Amino acid sequence: MILTMWVIATILFFIFRLMPGNPLVAYIDPTFTEEQQQILLKQFGLDQPLWYQYFVFLKNLGQGELGDSFFFRDSVVNVIGKVLPNTIYLMLLSLLLAYTIGIMSGIYLAWKRGERIETVGIVLTLFTRAAPQFWVGMILLAVFSFRFGLFPSGGASAAGTVYASEWEKLLSPSFYHHLFLPALTLAIYLLGLPLLLMRSNMLDVMKEAYVDMASMRGLSKLRVMLKYAARNACLPVVTAMAVGIGYAMGGNVVIETVFSWPGLGRLLVKAVSTSDYPLAQGAFILIAGVMVIMNFVADLLYSILDPRVTLENRR
Amino acid sequence: MRRIFFFGLVIILLSIAFGLTEIGYCEQNRVVREITVLTRPKASSPDEFETITLVVEAMKKIGINAKAKVMPWEQMADVVWYDRDAWDMTGWQMTARPERLDPDEFTFNLFHSSTAENGYNFIGYNNPQYDQVAEEQRVTIDQERRRELIYQAQQIIADDCTYIFSVNPLVNIVYNNQVFAADSIQEMAGLGIKNFWTYLNATPKGKQKDLILNSNDTVQAINPLYISGTVDSWVTELVWDRLMRMAQDGLPRPWAAEKVEWQDNTTVKVVLRDGMQWHDGKPVTVEDVKFSFEVPKTGEAPMYKPFVDIIAQIDIVDDHTLVFNLKKPWAAFETASLAKINLIPKHIWEPIIADLKNKPENAESHQEAIPIGSGPFKFANWKFSEEVVLTANPLYFQPPQIENWIARFIPNMEATLGMIQNGEINFLATYLGDKQLLQQRVEADPKLTMVSSTDLGFRFLAPNHRRPPFDDVAFRRAIAALTDRELIAALVWKGFAVPGDGVISPALEYWDNPNVNYPSGGVEEARMILKKAGYEWDSKGRLLYPEK
Repeated sequence: MILTMWVIATILFFIFRLMPGNPLVAYIDPTFTEEQQQILLKQFGLDQPLWYQYFVFLKNLGQGELGDSFFFRDSVVNVIGKVLPNTIYLMLLSLLLAYTIGIMSGIYLAWKRGERIETVGIVLTLFTRAAPQFWVGMILLAVFSFRFGLFPSGGASAAGTVYASEWEKLLSPSFYHHLFLPALTLAIYLLGLPLLLMRSNMLDVMKEAYVDMASMRGLSKLRVMLKYAARNACLPVVTAMAVGIGYAMGGNVVIETVFSWPGLGRLLVKAVSTSDYPLAQGAFILIAGVMVIMNFVADLLYSILDPRVTLENRR
Repeated sequence: MRRIFFFGLVIILLSIAFGLTEIGYCEQNRVVREITVLTRPKASSPDEFETITLVVEAMKKIGINAKAKVMPWEQMADVVWYDRDAWDMTGWQMTARPERLDPDEFTFNLFHSSTAENGYNFIGYNNPQYDQVAEEQRVTIDQERRRELIYQAQQIIADDCTYIFSVNPLVNIVYNNQVFAADSIQEMAGLGIKNFWTYLNATPKGKQKDLILNSNDTVQAINPLYISGTVDSWVTELVWDRLMRMAQDGLPRPWAAEKVEWQDNTTVKVVLRDGMQWHDGKPVTVEDVKFSFEVPKTGEAPMYKPFVDIIAQIDIVDDHTLVFNLKKPWAAFETASLAKINLIPKHIWEPIIADLKNKPENAESHQEAIPIGSGPFKFANWKFSEEVVLTANPLYFQPPQIENWIARFIPNMEATLGMIQNGEINFLATYLGDKQLLQQRVEADPKLTMVSSTDLGFRFLAPNHRRPPFDDVAFRRAIAALTDRELIAALVWKGFAVPGDGVISPALEYWDNPNVNYPSGGVEEARMILKKAGYEWDSKGRLLYPEK
C-alpha cells in the first residue's frame, strides 16, 4: 500500500511540473515586477532544483505535511479541510440512494426475469449509466429549479445563512434541500453498478440448491427472494460499495461544478487550472489514498462476509 | 560551324536557366515566412479564437502564409511571457480595474522600453521618442498638460501600430429592478454598474434588502495586504477604506481624506475626514494612515510595494493632517497610491507585522479571523468556495442602503441565468456565456434590466516586434489595416463591443484622444501600405520583402 502511494505521489509530483504553464502566470500584470517574480519563486520554493523539490516533497509527505497552497496562502490540509466535509456528505447521500435503490431494483428485475419490465429496466439502467453527469445535472436543474422552482440552483445553503456549527448545518432542512439534486445526479450515475451486479448475482444464486429447497418448503416467493437469495447475492455488492466510495470521491468534479457545490472537486479544478502544485497534489493524494484504503477494506470485508475467502485460499 | 552554333546555344540556354534560378532563388529568399498567430481555444475564449481566425484569413488574402495555433491560456502565457523570442503574434487582452482608470499603467508599463526584458512590454516595443513622452506624462502633475502628453502617446501608438487593436467589449450587467430602484444603480466609466458606488447607493424597494451577486471564481483570501483574485478585490474595497476613491467619471476624488492638496510637485497634503471608526469601534487616526502606507515598504507585503515606492517620507502635521513627500513627481500618485492602498488599523497589524519579521512567510498569508477595516461594509461571514457576506456599517459617514452584500460563487454560467430569473441572485455581476442569450432572457423578463457600458479593458493582437516582419512598421500597419474591427465587433461580439483603436478606452472621456488616426482601410489599404514600403508579390501571389 505504501509502495502504491509512493508511486502515485511521484507521478503526481512530476506530472504537474511537466504540465505547460507555471504558477507565476496567474500573476502576470503590468505592475508585476521582476523583483516580485523572484520573491514569489522563492516563496513557492520553485527557485530550488527539481530533484531537491522532490525530496523535500517526499519528506514532508512522510510526515503528513502537504505544504502551502500557492494561491490561498494557507496550508493545503486547512484548505482541503474546509471543503472535504461537503464532498463527503454529497458522497454518502448519493451512495445511500444508489445502493438502496440499486439493490432493491436488482432484486426486482431478477424476480421479473424474462418479462418485459426486465428489458425496459435494463435498458433504462444502461442509459443512466451512460448518460454524462453534467447533462443529467443540467436536465435536473432545468426541470426542478428553473421550471418548477422546487430546488435551489446551486450552493450548499441559502444566501446569507450562517451556521453556528457543522452540526447545526447537518440538522438544517435547507442543507438537504440544497444537497438533494447533486446527490440525485451522482446517485443516478452510481445506480447502475449495484443494480446490475445484484441482478446477475441473484440469477446465479437462484440456481443454487438451497433456494430450490426453500421454494420446495412452500415458503412464499417474496420470502425466498429476500431472505434466502438476496442475502447471499448481496456480498459482492457490499464490497463493490467499498470500492465505489473511492470512485465517488474522485468523480465529483463535474457534479460539483454543475451544482456549484463547495467541495473537493471544484477545488481540484481551480488548483489544476492555476498550477497550484501543492494543492492539486494534496487533493489527488487524498483521493488516491481513499481509493487505496477502500480497496483494502473491500478485501477485508470479503473475507469477513464470506469465510471461505481467506488469504490462504487465495494462494 | 554547326558545332560552334550548338555550343553557343548550350551556353545561352545554360545562362538563361541559371539566371532564372538566380532570380527564383532571390525571390525564394524574399518570401515572407510562415506566420503563426497564437490564440486560446474556442471553448474557453470564443471571441479571441474567432477574431484571430478572421485576421488570419485576411492575412492570407494579401499573400501571407499565416496560420492560427491554439493553446490553452496557461501554456500561451508561459510562451509569450517567458520565451519572448519564440512567437510571432498572439491574441491578448487587458481587463478593467479601478486603478487602470489612470492612463499611466497602460501608457508606461505596456510600452516603455525598460519593461521589455522582463516586464509587461512583452512585445519588445522600443521607441525612444515614445519613451520620452511616457516618462514625461508620469511626472507632469498639471492635468491639462498631462492630457496633451497622453494624447500624443496615443497617436504614437497608433502610428507605430504597436498593437493590432480589435475591440473594447461592453460590460453587460443585469440587476433585478423589482429589488433595487433604478436611479440608485450607478454607472461608472469603464467599469459599468458593478462598482463601489452601486454597492453604496443601491436602494432596496421592497422586502429584499440584500444585494446578492454572483462570481464564477471563488475568493482566495480576504486580506488588505495581498492582491489575489479579482473577486477578492471586490471584497477588500468594501471592507477597507481608501483616502481617495475613483469617481464615476474615472477621476480620483478625496474620500476618507477630506482634502488632498498638491503643495508642489513632490509634496501632497492630506486632511483626514473627521469621526471615522474602525469596525471594532476604535477611531481612525493619522497614525493608522501613515502605518498603512509604510507597511508595504517593510517587505511584508511585496505586492503593494510598487504603489508606495515613490514615497520618501510621511510627516504627521496634526491630528488630521499628513504630508506625503515623494522621491520624484508622479502624476498617477492619487490613483495608484492614495486610491489603491487599503487603510489598515495599526493596533491590529503592528503586532502581526512584528511577529512576521522573524518568520519565512509574509503578511500575504495572514488571514484575520474577523477582518477589521473602516469601509462601508463590515465582514460578516465567509463560507469557503460558497459565499462571502458583508453587512452594512451603520456608523460609516455615508452608510449603505442595502443590509447585506453577498457574493455567491457559481461556476456554472447556465445556472446563474436561472438564478437571476428565479431571484436566487439579484445582481448578475459576472457573465461569461452567450451575450445574445442573456439579452433575450432580459428582454423576456420585465423584472430584469441590463446595463451595457464600454469596458475599460480591450482586446488586441500583440505582434512580436523582435521578430521580422513585425519589426517593420509598414508590415504592422498593413496587418492593422486589414483587421476589420467593425466586422469583429458586429460578427464576433454580436454588437456587444465597440471597435478599438488604442489603449485608452472611449469610456474615459477625459483621457481618450478622439482624433487618433489608426489604419482601417481593409485589404486594399494594406496592399497600398506594403507596396509603398517596397514589398512585392511573386507570381504565386506570395508576399515578398522589399529588395535590400
